[in-house]
Amino acid sequence: MARASCTLPPVALSVDHLRKAYDTLVAVDDLSFAVGAGEIVGLIGPNGAGKTTTLRSLAGILRPTSGTIAIDGHDLLAAPIEAKCRLAFMPDEPHLFEYLTVEEHLRLVARLYTVDDFDRRSRALIDELELTGKEKSLPGELSRGMRQKVVIACGLVRNATTLLFDEPLTGLDPIGIRRMRETIVSRARAGASILLSSHLLHLVEEICSRVIIMAGGKKIADGTFAELATRADLATAGSNLEQIFLRVTGHE
Amino acid sequence: MLLASLYIVLCSARNRLNRRMKRLREPRYLLGAVVGVAYFYFAIFARTRGRNAALDAARARNANRQRRGPDPAAAIAMVSASGPALAGLAFLVLGIVAWVLPFDSGLLDFSEAETAFLFPAPISRRALLVHRMMRSQLGILFGSVIVAFAAGSVTGWMRLRISIGMWLVFVTIKLYFTVVTLARTRLTAERLTTRVLAWTPLALLLAMLTTAGTAIVRAFAASPVESVRDAFQRLGAVSLTGASSVALWPFVTLARPLFAPDWPAYVRALGWGVALLGALVVWVLATDDAFEEAAAHAAARRAAKAQSKRASLGRARATGLSLALNGRPETAFFWKNGVQTLRLAGLSVLRIAIAMIVIVVTSTSATFNALHLQGVAATACLVSIALAGFAAILGPQVVRTDLRSDLTHLDVLKTWPVRAAAVIRGEMAWPAVMLTIVGWIAIASATAFSAAAFPRVALATRLSVSAAALLLMPALVFAQYLVQNAAAVIFPAWVPLGDQRPRGVDAMGQRIILLAGVLLSVAVMLLPGAFVGGILWLAFQRIVGPPIFVVGAFVCLAFVALEVLAGTEMLGPVYERLDVLAIERAE
Repeated sequence: MARASCTLPPVALSVDHLRKAYDTLVAVDDLSFAVGAGEIVGLIGPNGAGKTTTLRSLAGILRPTSGTIAIDGHDLLAAPIEAKCRLAFMPDEPHLFEYLTVEEHLRLVARLYTVDDFDRRSRALIDELELTGKEKSLPGELSRGMRQKVVIACGLVRNATTLLFDEPLTGLDPIGIRRMRETIVSRARAGASILLSSHLLHLVEEICSRVIIMAGGKKIADGTFAELATRADLATAGSNLEQIFLRVTGHE
Repeated sequence: MLLASLYIVLCSARNRLNRRMKRLREPRYLLGAVVGVAYFYFAIFARTRGRNAALDAARARNANRQRRGPDPAAAIAMVSASGPALAGLAFLVLGIVAWVLPFDSGLLDFSEAETAFLFPAPISRRALLVHRMMRSQLGILFGSVIVAFAAGSVTGWMRLRISIGMWLVFVTIKLYFTVVTLARTRLTAERLTTRVLAWTPLALLLAMLTTAGTAIVRAFAASPVESVRDAFQRLGAVSLTGASSVALWPFVTLARPLFAPDWPAYVRALGWGVALLGALVVWVLATDDAFEEAAAHAAARRAAKAQSKRASLGRARATGLSLALNGRPETAFFWKNGVQTLRLAGLSVLRIAIAMIVIVVTSTSATFNALHLQGVAATACLVSIALAGFAAILGPQVVRTDLRSDLTHLDVLKTWPVRAAAVIRGEMAWPAVMLTIVGWIAIASATAFSAAAFPRVALATRLSVSAAALLLMPALVFAQYLVQNAAAVIFPAWVPLGDQRPRGVDAMGQRIILLAGVLLSVAVMLLPGAFVGGILWLAFQRIVGPPIFVVGAFVCLAFVALEVLAGTEMLGPVYERLDVLAIERAE
């Protein structure tokens, strides 16, 4: 069977008029944005804003009701294999196969995504994410934080050009949080486009170059912190992301 | 705490019932409920009525036969009289099995909510156990009532008696398994007293078994058994006289209410049974020092329990299976499911093996009786045939290491850059190949011993039939896996996730509908090949002879192979559209 090569030029993620509805409930409504190569974009919003639904739609888990999603120019619905080759999704809840070890998870991903130089990459990642000594462990033998790291390792072991993080710091200890921040930033510096959803506004403020604020399934703000701070309706909120967030979501 | 437990039990039951009633608004559940209720009606109530009518007719016939031959009513009375002894022996065996097999009562399996709410609460661990006992009552009561209806008793009062008797049996067994679970964890305890207390019930049980076993051997070795009645009488005597009657007393006492001939005897038997149950409750609560220790180290133990629960999924032992970094995606799924099976081998494969042994031995025994066959070789042949039949027909229902079990990971699978058809083919490949190999080994074994079991059948015919069976085995297995996985993709909400099973009459009806649909679809898949193969057989049987079976089977296999390939390709777009939210989460 012909499989797409996973080594193509730098990319951008583009979302155009994305809509996802469950019966009468519209979880995401007319959402459009783009993420350039090397850019880290924060996706924030109150509970039920549609952030996770957006990320799961972008990852190919949920089928959009309408709209288009393109990864590096490849339409996720029309050419799912080419698009998914370039995509890595790190969910907030670590879903792992109960009977595969850490090492076997990485190997399975490497096989499915055709990863070159797997041994070197997996060794480096295991060291980077402090999973050394856990290679032969099953998920059931790991703490939640460790399982989260395995999911992230599976996302990073391949040459994904678009990385989607949903609450990447959940379950990590302070050292792990610091390492993860460094990991995300280094991937962006290497040219990956990153979309990161988090309730930790200080994290978003620290590492994101741009922020998208969602509420009720709609995008209500999109821009750099400087742009948001100078927006007429947000000018009085100052440049603090928390103040901006509270203002645009109508909680202040 | 008792009131709090009652509150939890009643509120949970009410809300569960409400939820099940509400879901009947969905057509699939309504349809399932109709089929489920119909099943219960025809399987239990209608059968009971029919049986009652048959009993009346039998009584009428017996009245006429009494002058001519042995009295069947007397035989039934004899079985009733020996019933407590036989059931008591069965309970004794179950008591031993409880120590050998890694099963427990589930009474100590606190739900996450129970752990979160009740463990930190200022209540004793014994109160927690009492709470768990109360929670288990609804299920046990339901099971007891079902048994009473299925028993086909004549009067409503008799059904009531059976219900109470069965409730007593079920509760006692559950508590006994709890005793075993608690004792098993302390068999290797550091403290001598703890070890002695843990070993005491096992030692007692072995002493009882030895005593009863010796008495049974003596009773049957003294003189040859003349009749079934004689055998029953001897067993009855073992339970009523000598040391064996003491050894069997707890077990016979438990069974006695079910066989009591009248109300006074029933009340007496029930009184002793309840006393036995009370003693067991006291035993469970008194020996439950694991919980007392837990009270002192609650937080640490909860963490350890959670860890041990996760770890109990299996250890990462080497499987000998390695995944190359290049190749078809199907083989990656094949490898993944293979690793899962091999790591699970210690747990679920054991359960499957036990089920297979029970089915194979039962079916073989029945066949032996029907064919009047004897001899080790004939036995081996028939056991092998039964095993092959199990692998071909029931195997794909039981071995679910395919997309059905992987629906829980659908949100991971959907992110992978793999063609949907390859996912489906890859998922079904491992279990199908595994079952095919099991079937082939069984067929080869049956062929090797076929001369003993079928001495009148010519060698050429036996070899031809075997070769045809070897070809049909993958056809049957792969066809079923295609249909099962198609059902998972097309009707994901109807497929239970992993080991979980939706409960309720409607869910049971859904499973019946699904099973019927699967069987019908497999029959349709096999039809073209069977039709062409049948024509070949009719046309060339006289010319070619037995080898025509092989040709017919090959044609059938070829048709099914094409259908499986085409089927997986056709399912691809359906898989792509499959929404993870369509999958039913268990209650």
